[in-house]
Amino acid sequence: MVRRKRRTLRSVYLALLLMFLYLPILVMICLSFNQSVSRAEWTGFTFDWYKKLASDARILSALKVTLSVAAMATVLSTVIGTLAAIGMHSMKKGWSNLLTNVAYLPMTTPDIVTGVSLMLMFVFLQWPLSKWTMLCAHVAFDTPYVLFSILPRLRQMNPNLYEAALDLGCRPTPALFKVILPEILPGVVTGALLAFTMSLDDFVISYFTSNTDQNLSMIVYSAAKLGVEPTMYALSTIMFLVILALLLVINRRSKLEEI
Amino acid sequence: MYEEERLIEIQGMSKSFGETEVLHNIDLYIRKREFVTLLGPSGCGKTTMLRLIGGFEMPTEGKILFGGRDITQVPPYRRKVNTVFQKYALFTHLNVFDNIAFGLKLRKVSKSEIEKRVMRMLRLVKMEGYEKRSVESLSGGQQQRIAIARALVNEPEVLLLDEPLGALDLKLRQEMQLELKSMQQELGITFLYVTHDQEEALTMSDTIVVMNGGRIQQIGDPKRIYDEPKNAFVADFIGQSNLLSGVMLEDELVMMAGKEFPCVDEGFEKNELVDVVVRPEDIMVVGADVGMLVGTVESVLFKGVHYEMIVSTGENRWKVHSTTMQPAGTRVGLSIVPFNIHIMRRESSGGVQEVEPQ
Amino acid sequence: MKRHWYATPYALWMTLFTIVPLLFVVYFAFTTKSGEWTVANFGKFFKASNLPVVADSFRLAFLCTLICLLIGYPAAYFLSARNFPLGRALVVLFLLPMWMNFLLRTYAMMTLLEKNGVINTVLDALGLPPQNLIGTEAAVLLGMVYNFLPFMILPIYTVLKKLDLRVIEAAEDLGAPPSKVFSRVVVPLSVPGVVSGITMVFMPAVTTFAISRMLGSGMIYLIGDTIEDYYINFNNRNVGSALSLVLMVLIVISIGLLRMADPKGEGGALW
Repeated sequence: MVRRKRRTLRSVYLALLLMFLYLPILVMICLSFNQSVSRAEWTGFTFDWYKKLASDARILSALKVTLSVAAMATVLSTVIGTLAAIGMHSMKKGWSNLLTNVAYLPMTTPDIVTGVSLMLMFVFLQWPLSKWTMLCAHVAFDTPYVLFSILPRLRQMNPNLYEAALDLGCRPTPALFKVILPEILPGVVTGALLAFTMSLDDFVISYFTSNTDQNLSMIVYSAAKLGVEPTMYALSTIMFLVILALLLVINRRSKLEEI
Repeated sequence: MYEEERLIEIQGMSKSFGETEVLHNIDLYIRKREFVTLLGPSGCGKTTMLRLIGGFEMPTEGKILFGGRDITQVPPYRRKVNTVFQKYALFTHLNVFDNIAFGLKLRKVSKSEIEKRVMRMLRLVKMEGYEKRSVESLSGGQQQRIAIARALVNEPEVLLLDEPLGALDLKLRQEMQLELKSMQQELGITFLYVTHDQEEALTMSDTIVVMNGGRIQQIGDPKRIYDEPKNAFVADFIGQSNLLSGVMLEDELVMMAGKEFPCVDEGFEKNELVDVVVRPEDIMVVGADVGMLVGTVESVLFKGVHYEMIVSTGENRWKVHSTTMQPAGTRVGLSIVPFNIHIMRRESSGGVQEVEPQ
Repeated sequence: MKRHWYATPYALWMTLFTIVPLLFVVYFAFTTKSGEWTVANFGKFFKASNLPVVADSFRLAFLCTLICLLIGYPAAYFLSARNFPLGRALVVLFLLPMWMNFLLRTYAMMTLLEKNGVINTVLDALGLPPQNLIGTEAAVLLGMVYNFLPFMILPIYTVLKKLDLRVIEAAEDLGAPPSKVFSRVVVPLSVPGVVSGITMVFMPAVTTFAISRMLGSGMIYLIGDTIEDYYINFNNRNVGSALSLVLMVLIVISIGLLRMADPKGEGGALW
């Protein structure tokens, strides 16, 4: 009896929390298909807001900025992060600890401080705040994600694997590609996906590091200052679903909680 | 068996990692077709020695000659040795065939030749029909066979094996010991084998190199190592022995456990302190009235072929193997023939303690 | 064997785009607009009417952390229960929002709370008077809890999941009833998770600016908003930097104090 009661309590509690976490988003998704501009009433199903979205030049250019920055940041951070992981793996412990702590820095600094610090430097260097400065910032916060998805794989890897390749007549650099890269590839792919998601998702740091080019998050923020409007619902819905899809893929590859 | 020609010669080799010296001034040669085992407890430097010969580490001092040529600075991919690693180190992204073919492909051997040689290897290690399997689907023993095939297919002049059977269970290990030995004889390749298992070493080797603390303790064939351990460490490591300290009263007479025993060793100084080894199977249990020593049976364990008894003679406790059982509490006599008493010089480095049985 | 040089691009990039910028914050915090050394920036900030803002930020962040802990701990406990096989799958649902754009989630929250928003529409339909939800402290607090709750659940869940079952069995074996097992064994052992949960909620909560902008509709003003204003709207980077520096120091101190409760760093946090 008691046990039964406890189970019911548990289910109700968890269900309520899930509702709390997802209901606002679900409501927003529904409203993105609502004909009426007001949130007050449901006047019929429509794709109008999505069509409007597709013809909004500002949003389209933000989409271009978001995707191009995310793509470039992913490529750059994946290359830099993979090389770093391999390098750090063969380093003396002190040095690799130091470099690992550097990777924790963007993760423990509040986003707003990271954002303004980069802005200060770019302004000082007189680099125009554009998608290029945004890219530099994104690579900096993406790379640790790549690094941390690869390092555990390297640590788990049989240390003799690379030596086995040399032993069988392989030269050092080809051995890297023939043996080590295939071994850490799942981590590289997960890292790249994470980097892409984080880049797509970022608002605070982009907000401070880019002026002339806006990404989608920045559009949502400036629109929110003026109040809510349904095209933003449509935009949010799309972004939400894309990010959700990416996260589910990453989660399938490696349990998110364990990265 | 092996030929007299020296294939590998190690001269005055030392190796330090930072402050710690793991190998100290090693001199050793390995002959063609010889099965040499480096035997010692973990941390004795045996794996480091193998890695130096494989080319994965550089010695701090000394050199390594291979067929008379100095190869100390030659990188691993240019050495004519191949290694079977402790945990196999198979390439998980390649299947069985591609794992074995890895070295041949690098040497641009023709496709048909690769096919032929890989299949021959699979036959040798009794893994025919597995070529398309992923290595992760294999059991530990099967992975071990593939690791051996992957090394042997390159026809190395020396095969280095780093505790290759360490992860296998006892029965499989014993099977593989015999197989490895027959493979070695069939192929006529020099094997350098690392293990901490003295039984394994005694079963397989032509020559055993006993190591401890980065130094070679004794080199010799299994029988010699077993029968005539050079010091207390070797005696203790090779068998479960009774190890006592004694005093050499004169040639062929040693004092131990408070009694005088005739022995066969000579050339010691008068009253020199020595270590004495007596193997449990060399102690005869006789009547209490006729024994050289008299004691009480403390405990009896049945060990399958024999009984293992602990017999206490006042100060000392002796481990005795016998095929007849004496119940605990019985007064028994113990006798040792002179030939079975092994006297060893005490070495400063040996660090001999009195090891009491049990 | 010169493999360690592979980390060079990483070291350069992180130095240039993470470490050096932070040094710029320090530099700007201690200089005037014309570049002379000064400590006046700190004074300017503290003399101004900003102190209540700091107090408000820390108070709200504290409340948010407390609420997240009170809601999140039971959730983590339920999810990690051994007789709850569904927990493993469910926990993903609880953690996914963590990685998702907080702006979008806050935007969704706005939709509910607005004057003509969903909640008031529902109230209206039920014949109840509309409530003034948006623009209140409660709305901002709700937005924070909504955004940061998963950050509390994750580390506590991780620690509870790793809890050695034998320890609980031993406690039961020694005669502890379930309530005592929980209070004397489970809770003390989950402290590392709680500590990193608190860190992970408190830090973003105390530095947020968008949540307060969007749900406070200008009525609620926090440190994050102040920093944003100094940089973007007032164009006074020096005071903004001083403020960022103060914020960082306060955070480092809070984290440091918290870490003392979990000296071994077992909380694991995100990484």
